[in-house]
Amino acid sequence: MLFRQAGIFHADYSADRALFPIPADRWMIGILLLLALAAPIYMNTLYLSSYLLPWLIWTAGALGLNLILGWAGQFHLGYAAVMGIGAYAAVHATRAGIPWEIAIVLAGITASVIGSVFAFAALRVKGLYLALSTLALQFVMDWTISHVPAISGGTQATLQAPDIRLLGRAVTSDAGLYYVALVWCVLVTSFMLNLRRTALGRALVAVREKDYAAAVIGVNSFYFKLVAFATSSFIGGVSGAILIGTFYHAVTPEQFSVDVSIQALAMVIVGGLGSIIGSYFGAAFILLMPGVMNSFISWATTKFGFSLGIETLAHLPQAFYGALIIGFLLIEPLGLGKIYNNIRDYLLVWPFGYTKK
Amino acid sequence: MDAISLMESAANGALIGLMYSLVAMGIVLIYKSSSVPNLAQGSMTMLAAYVVLAFANSAGAPIWAAISLAIITMFIIGLAIERVALRRLAGRPIIMILMMTLGLEIFLRAGSMTIWGGTTRPMNLGISDAPLFLGPLLINRAYAFGAVVTIAMFGFFVMFFRSRVGVVLRAISDDYTAAWSVGISVERGVALSWAMSAVVATIAGVLWSSVQGVDQSLAQLLLKGVTVAVLGGLDSIGGALLAGVLLGVVEGIASSVLDPLLGGASRDLVDAAMLILTILIRPHGLFGRHDIERV
Amino acid sequence: MNAPITAKILSLNNIEVVYDHVSLAIKGVSIDVPEGGMVALLGANGAGKSTTLKSISGLLTAERGEVRRGELQFRGQSIGGLMPQDRVKLGIAHVLEGRRVFEHLTPDENLIAASALHSRQDMNRNKDRVYSYFPRLHERRTVASGYLSGGEQQMLAIGRALMTQPKLLMLDEPSLGLAPFLVAEIFQILGRINRDEGLSILLVEQNAIAALEIVSHGYLIESGRIVMHDSAAALKKNPDIQEFYLGGAENKNFRDIKHYSRRKRWLT
Repeated sequence: MLFRQAGIFHADYSADRALFPIPADRWMIGILLLLALAAPIYMNTLYLSSYLLPWLIWTAGALGLNLILGWAGQFHLGYAAVMGIGAYAAVHATRAGIPWEIAIVLAGITASVIGSVFAFAALRVKGLYLALSTLALQFVMDWTISHVPAISGGTQATLQAPDIRLLGRAVTSDAGLYYVALVWCVLVTSFMLNLRRTALGRALVAVREKDYAAAVIGVNSFYFKLVAFATSSFIGGVSGAILIGTFYHAVTPEQFSVDVSIQALAMVIVGGLGSIIGSYFGAAFILLMPGVMNSFISWATTKFGFSLGIETLAHLPQAFYGALIIGFLLIEPLGLGKIYNNIRDYLLVWPFGYTKK
Repeated sequence: MDAISLMESAANGALIGLMYSLVAMGIVLIYKSSSVPNLAQGSMTMLAAYVVLAFANSAGAPIWAAISLAIITMFIIGLAIERVALRRLAGRPIIMILMMTLGLEIFLRAGSMTIWGGTTRPMNLGISDAPLFLGPLLINRAYAFGAVVTIAMFGFFVMFFRSRVGVVLRAISDDYTAAWSVGISVERGVALSWAMSAVVATIAGVLWSSVQGVDQSLAQLLLKGVTVAVLGGLDSIGGALLAGVLLGVVEGIASSVLDPLLGGASRDLVDAAMLILTILIRPHGLFGRHDIERV
Repeated sequence: MNAPITAKILSLNNIEVVYDHVSLAIKGVSIDVPEGGMVALLGANGAGKSTTLKSISGLLTAERGEVRRGELQFRGQSIGGLMPQDRVKLGIAHVLEGRRVFEHLTPDENLIAASALHSRQDMNRNKDRVYSYFPRLHERRTVASGYLSGGEQQMLAIGRALMTQPKLLMLDEPSLGLAPFLVAEIFQILGRINRDEGLSILLVEQNAIAALEIVSHGYLIESGRIVMHDSAAALKKNPDIQEFYLGGAENKNFRDIKHYSRRKRWLT
């Protein structure tokens, strides 16, 4: 990552407004995209379908949550419920014979409509009260999903998701499923990248900083809160649908419980509020952490010759994960994204200490 | 459904509600003295119950001694939480503070599970199971005992917030900077509120464990506590008490009416609905203070 | 232009304050307050008056500010590293700008909250003293302070500071948003406290007319620097002060305003 620039200089506005103003960044993105496209060739299917695939989908989901949290500044503790709505909508739609491409759009729209209910809470209250009402809404959605047999197929039930079909052809190979996730993740990412440059993005940031003040300068804060919730719910709903279609292949209410909401929140916080690259880091961190923890523990138990009970093993990653959230908030509240940016800003002009960013 | 059994549900609901108030009181205590919403109160309650068991079972102390030791331990844990986790966040946006208490919630809950495991264990306070009749109504003794303790705690805290220390804590929650300017040690005040809240959590933990045993479900009292605290107004001790009774009664009646219709588990639904309705209709609760925001 | 030779209760030597590690708010401020004296710090909006006071009372840290350079001495003791509450214990009281009473507490409770460092007897004695200075507070002692009028809140804020038994009382714009007769009343009471109890006062004001009536010395701060220091009488006579702070010249035309902005810079 040697940029060797003495600052960023632009000769015209279009260069200034480019997504990636620095050539090295453009190269890096290109190479990463190529690597992602070629992943099925050089990567074994275990890693591909059990690490890379969920990571991409969760990143897309986390980006959707980041839109609400980082851009619009509205607390959302019910994001998993929104994803769940999308997932159930898509499964029911495909089971009813609707093509999958249309089913996921339907899933997004359903999630978006129901998710906008959260926006009506956000119209009246904010901060703590918004957090609590979204949490309560999560409980209501959980309850509805698991207690209405028409949705969940009965309590404690698992609903099998049909294989996904694109343009009439069934997609069942690991590589195919992976590409579906990749396309979705890239789509969401480029949407979020471009959001920064639009009036919508700027209005959201204005609402985040102070909604009354934004209203005073002519930003209709309720409208933009509604748009933010609807958009983020759309992304969440489709992500949920794709998660079920490509990864879980079956849907149960527990996949979208409160804990999952908190997990999504942790991805955003650990990654960094409002940071796109941070959502990638955050999702990776939260997804990989339990696995890494487990292998670390088993390594440590054999190395130091002690043994842990099953209960302990089951809950230790969770405790570590709580500690992680606490640690991030204390040490770097802006998360991994900020750490990455600090390193990048340093390397950008290295070895020169001065810079124009 | 006949009138007697409905009244019975209401009466026992009111008693249970008072025990919810105890959890809510912990949240109110912290909010009233530092404006921090504590989402870790449920886990603190659970942790406290495990600490009591640890003293009683492993160290073999009699149950009342174990409870006293646990109160001291939790007091110290409360101080430690403030010192480690919250002091550096003073003045940060609410989203960070909420996330911190959520992180604490996960950490304390999973930490207790890691140490003590997830199987339900009994806690016996020696309250008899003999039926207790109030007129024609059958009352659960454990709930009645819990309700009495709650009311006593309530009395204590009402007096406390009128005392000099209590006034200082209320001053802190009003304005940190102004509190510093008149020589109040804000950090110590906030730490004290966390410690007291941890003590309340211990008492709530003991009472609830005597009813339902010690396991992870104690942490889920958070939802009840939050609902009651918000319904009563987040900074009103008396509000927490009344809202607890209200929620308990509504829950008791609603579950006896709705459970047969919805196939059980309507209690949580009632909670969530109460919480949402309160926030949408009257966000500052029944007795909470009204805050004014200016640009 | 030299500092008075009497004993100094407070002396700031070349203080420099930086907010958020980047923004330099005051650059090299030196102020002396004599024991039992009454000194005014005058200046326009954003000149650095409040920052100077906060650096003395230790409230900068709450706003991510820090004293980078210079020395703060209170009665010969360096106080730079002390926590706010320890400075209050030494006898520095800071009446914040904009009154900042504890709104949900009654005046009586406000006073109680402010005596966290004192015994009950001391507290009651102090309360009686405050109520004797501000009888109106006593009348309204059971109302939530948020509902008091601006003047009453200011009295409460001063009274609250007096509860800490200060040796040095610092007031940040006590006249802000108050009717002139209230300002006169409050300043008169401040003068009385200063005379009767020998309490040293550092008064920060934009209202130079009122302030220069009661203080013995004045400092003038502009863009984070002290630009003038003299006795109150001399300051009142100074033509620049008269023009810019005392509203001396009426009927200014536009050219004079330009002149104003150019002349206003004394040293920079």
